[in-house]
Amino acid sequence: MEALIVQLRRLQETALAELTKISATKDLTNWRVQYLGKKSELNALSKQMGGLRQEERPLFGERVNEVRNALEAAYLERQTALAAAEQALRLAQETIDITLPGRAIGRGAIHPISRVIQEIEDIFLGMGFSIVDGPEIETDHYNFELLNLPKDHPARDMQDTFYLSDELLLRTHTSPMQVRTMERMQGDVPIKVIVPGRVYRRDEDDATHSHQFTQIEGLVVGEGIRMSDLKGTLESFAKALFGPEQRVRLRPSYFPFTEPSAEVDLLCVHCHGEGCRVCKGTGWIEILGAGMVHPRVLDMSGYDSTRYSGFAFGMGPERIAMLRYGISDIRLLYQNDLRFLAQFARA
Amino acid sequence: MKVSYQWLREYVDLADLSPEALADKLTSAGLAVDAVEPRNKGVSGVVVGEIVAARQHPNADRLRVCMVNVGTGEPLQIVCGAPNANPGLRVPVALPGATLPGGVQIRRTTLRGVESNGMLCSAAEIGLETRLLPSAQATGLFVLPEETPIGEDIVKVLCLDDVVLDIDLTPNRSDCFSIRGLVHEVAAILRSRHSFPEHIEAPKGAGESPIAIDLATERCPRYEAQVLDGINQTSSPLWMQMRLIAMGIRTIDLVVDVTNYVMLEWGQPLHAFDADSIAQSQIVVRQAHDGEELVTLDGQKRTLTRDMIVISDPEKAIGLAGVMGGENSEITASTRRIALESARFDGSSVRRTGQRLGLRSEAQQRFEKGVDPAAISPALARATALLVELGGARPIGPSVAVHQERKAGDSWQIPFVPEQCREALGFAISNDEMEAIFHALGFGVHRQEDKWLVEVPSRRADVTLTADLYEEIARLHGYDNIPSTVTVLPVTPGMRDRRQAMLAKARVLLVNMGLFEVRTYALTSPDALAPLSSPYRPIPLLLPMSDERRVLRTHLLPSLAEVAVHNLAHQVPGGAVFEIGKSYLTSELPLRSQPQEREVIAMLWFGETEGTLYEKARRYDFYDAKGVLENLLAALGADASYVRSAIPWLHPGRSADIVAGEETIGVVGELHPETAKAFGIDRAIYAEIDVASLLATRESDMQAKALPRFPGSRRDIAIVVDRETLVGDLLRTVRERLATSGLLQGLRAFDVYVGEGVPEGRKSVAITMFFQHAEHTLTDDEIEQLVATAIDALRVNHNAQLRS
Repeated sequence: MEALIVQLRRLQETALAELTKISATKDLTNWRVQYLGKKSELNALSKQMGGLRQEERPLFGERVNEVRNALEAAYLERQTALAAAEQALRLAQETIDITLPGRAIGRGAIHPISRVIQEIEDIFLGMGFSIVDGPEIETDHYNFELLNLPKDHPARDMQDTFYLSDELLLRTHTSPMQVRTMERMQGDVPIKVIVPGRVYRRDEDDATHSHQFTQIEGLVVGEGIRMSDLKGTLESFAKALFGPEQRVRLRPSYFPFTEPSAEVDLLCVHCHGEGCRVCKGTGWIEILGAGMVHPRVLDMSGYDSTRYSGFAFGMGPERIAMLRYGISDIRLLYQNDLRFLAQFARA
Repeated sequence: MKVSYQWLREYVDLADLSPEALADKLTSAGLAVDAVEPRNKGVSGVVVGEIVAARQHPNADRLRVCMVNVGTGEPLQIVCGAPNANPGLRVPVALPGATLPGGVQIRRTTLRGVESNGMLCSAAEIGLETRLLPSAQATGLFVLPEETPIGEDIVKVLCLDDVVLDIDLTPNRSDCFSIRGLVHEVAAILRSRHSFPEHIEAPKGAGESPIAIDLATERCPRYEAQVLDGINQTSSPLWMQMRLIAMGIRTIDLVVDVTNYVMLEWGQPLHAFDADSIAQSQIVVRQAHDGEELVTLDGQKRTLTRDMIVISDPEKAIGLAGVMGGENSEITASTRRIALESARFDGSSVRRTGQRLGLRSEAQQRFEKGVDPAAISPALARATALLVELGGARPIGPSVAVHQERKAGDSWQIPFVPEQCREALGFAISNDEMEAIFHALGFGVHRQEDKWLVEVPSRRADVTLTADLYEEIARLHGYDNIPSTVTVLPVTPGMRDRRQAMLAKARVLLVNMGLFEVRTYALTSPDALAPLSSPYRPIPLLLPMSDERRVLRTHLLPSLAEVAVHNLAHQVPGGAVFEIGKSYLTSELPLRSQPQEREVIAMLWFGETEGTLYEKARRYDFYDAKGVLENLLAALGADASYVRSAIPWLHPGRSADIVAGEETIGVVGELHPETAKAFGIDRAIYAEIDVASLLATRESDMQAKALPRFPGSRRDIAIVVDRETLVGDLLRTVRERLATSGLLQGLRAFDVYVGEGVPEGRKSVAITMFFQHAEHTLTDDEIEQLVATAIDALRVNHNAQLRS
């Protein structure tokens, strides 16, 4: 038996030694057939058990099993290692250039003016305002007369007008919708609306003027509305649009349809009040016109000015877009060069 | 409005308030100061000198060698090139070491071998606006009056130490179109006293005025005139010239300068006529006759209309009221007697007349905005006094004044309740403080308990309502003192309506499908619209600014085509753009009522796609556009189908009407080659969706269905049909034929093939169908039955053959 056991040991050593040299799955299969298969030496040795003594047989059988288990275990281990190595190799071969671009899903851009309008709309929607739209071709009556600008009023010079006939014109501001909204509401309060839209003035196009541009009008009418409410509303708006450190400054001004009237300045969005080129060193930038709705406008629109009051404001999305995005020439906004527009692709 | 700081300071105590600080205060009070400009543009070391001798330069034809007395004893030798460098003239002399505007340094130098100790200056060289000077003074040396003290600093002589504030006056503040108004305003802002004389005593001549006035139009509420004799036709004093120039007014001669000076001082325009040219010494203020002619002071023959006011005598018109005088009554060198006019004319009428004739004088601007009736008499008195003082004129008789029956009041009263003012403005301010503000403005206050009457002088025509008083309180108390409060109002839901919400979604959807939003001009040219052969004639502007922008567009395609042309010309190989915009449609021209404003989502694909690693660059085609539309309309809940279109400006074989329900809601197609050519582009795909129609056809809200419990089965067939057969028709046949079964859950074409193995004129279409039953798994027999039915219908309706 000793001799057999020696043979077993030698077999084990030889098999394990060979196993370590194997690096291909095919060779591993051959190894398995050779050392663990039906015709293997191990099987042949185990068959010699019959020639052993009765008392030696269990011991020998145990040894044979030990060797078989050891080889099986070594085989499995080797197989796992080889599979891992082969997978690693395959993965390495499958490596791609992850710096190449992905399959393009075309993405355009919302026009910067629309972006600004949407943002402003969202701020006022959050404050409970509704959005109303109105006609771009207006009557002289709504565009001027009901806004306290009778014919031949010198203030009409402030807005050079494109006339289509004696009575019809391209609206010079979104303010006619103040009157149209009040008429539609037929005396109901509160009114809280904003009016975004295209407007037209007889201006030569240059870096800061455009014969067509957009405006956002705002109107609030109710009982007990104060001028301080106008300031508070615009301050909330300014903080929402330009950040919590924003402040507004009102300066007396004149619009025929508001009294008192104000120009509204914000802290310069570039220098935050320090004074820079954008704000011409003043620290403030003019951004809005506003005021308390003129009593005559209220009365003409069916709201008794001794009972109701309100405020109105108007701003230019182009100006805000230009400040925001550092655009120096308004014409870029109407040229629609895709290289320009592509700069606004962020969602 | 340009205003001289020194002139203001003459009447109101500015203490040590600098021009810049004054500008800030004016701006804060609503008179926005655009610029603060020193009169001195960099002059120093320039004094008054007298040319005592001048001789020809030995080495230069055009130069003279002058000996100049500058009050320092020895005359200075100065070489000068001005043709009027003549002995006896007093002129500005830049001494060695002087600086002139533009940083020019004057040094002792030698000019062509002759020593020159300084420079004799022209108006431009010392920074004066030559366009505001008489032509004789605009070129050559600037000649100073004979009595100008020699050696005096020119800065003092020409008031160059003055500073000009350029105020952007709002149209309501016509009162500040004068020194008088600004004095009142500044005094109110500073709460200081002023010394502007509101009443002027004019020297009166003996006897009666030779002139009679007849007011024959209601549009002249008041007219006054003073006749003067013996006027010395000279130039006005330097200080007056400098004030006029500082405020942007040309200096001409004494009479004109005095009328302008008084206009600046009082805001009341004046006009001087040659009194001897007024027939029968009678001034008639009347409406012009249609077709009446008048040659105005600028030499232009004007044809007048009935709605213009003219100053006339019984025989002829002699001036256009408030706009411009007539040449026939112009003051000339031979004029002996002048008639000075101070009047008020209807602002609207003056404005219209000026607009009609293309004139816009300083006087006209003041009449348009309204002049103070209380200034008419004192302004006339002031001008009379100045002409007497400066021109040696003698008044003949007193002034004559005629006015309409109802004389405009010198003041009016406005009710004012202090508590209501506090409520309207939202800030605390005491009654006494309010009263102090009114007093500072020169308003009277009659306090009766809590109800006041505020008396407003006629110079403040802009203050007529209680709300106007609120503004005065707010602006003089300071807008900065208004707190920020929150409106106390019932809560209102803020949300976009259906249309607004849909458009906001459409915008994001299109952008996410690669389209760029553009914003184009609504004004275009008829030529740009011509290729569309639209049934609508475009609405024209009455007064266009250019040919390119003179009608309102009837379609968006030309606008988008313009975008394509611009981009293709600027190295952009192609792209897809959209605009949510309007076209303006009417069937009646000239326009009588507001036209239809048709809102569309318009899209254009032009040029090539951007090539990528995965797909080569290629031209955009119909299916790019259709894919976007299908996606967009599905996302917006519209169930659309595509029907061959008959629109003439689109490719007849590559265009479709987009139909939802019964209604055509839009169109998509490749531009007809002729259309594309007319727009200057090679090929492009246009699509548009009518917003109102889309909104009308949108489906009801989404409804969930339970998921099927039994598996379905897919079957593919390939059939051969005529080439022109529309796949959409094949699918519709299958869908309709199998509709009753309720089992067809999916249907689409997945391949269209023309070529080898398919007969000439035919094409192979592969269709996949998906069948599913809610209650059981379909058997093969059931499915084969359905497929056979479908194939049968295709054969009957479309002459389809099953492809083996």
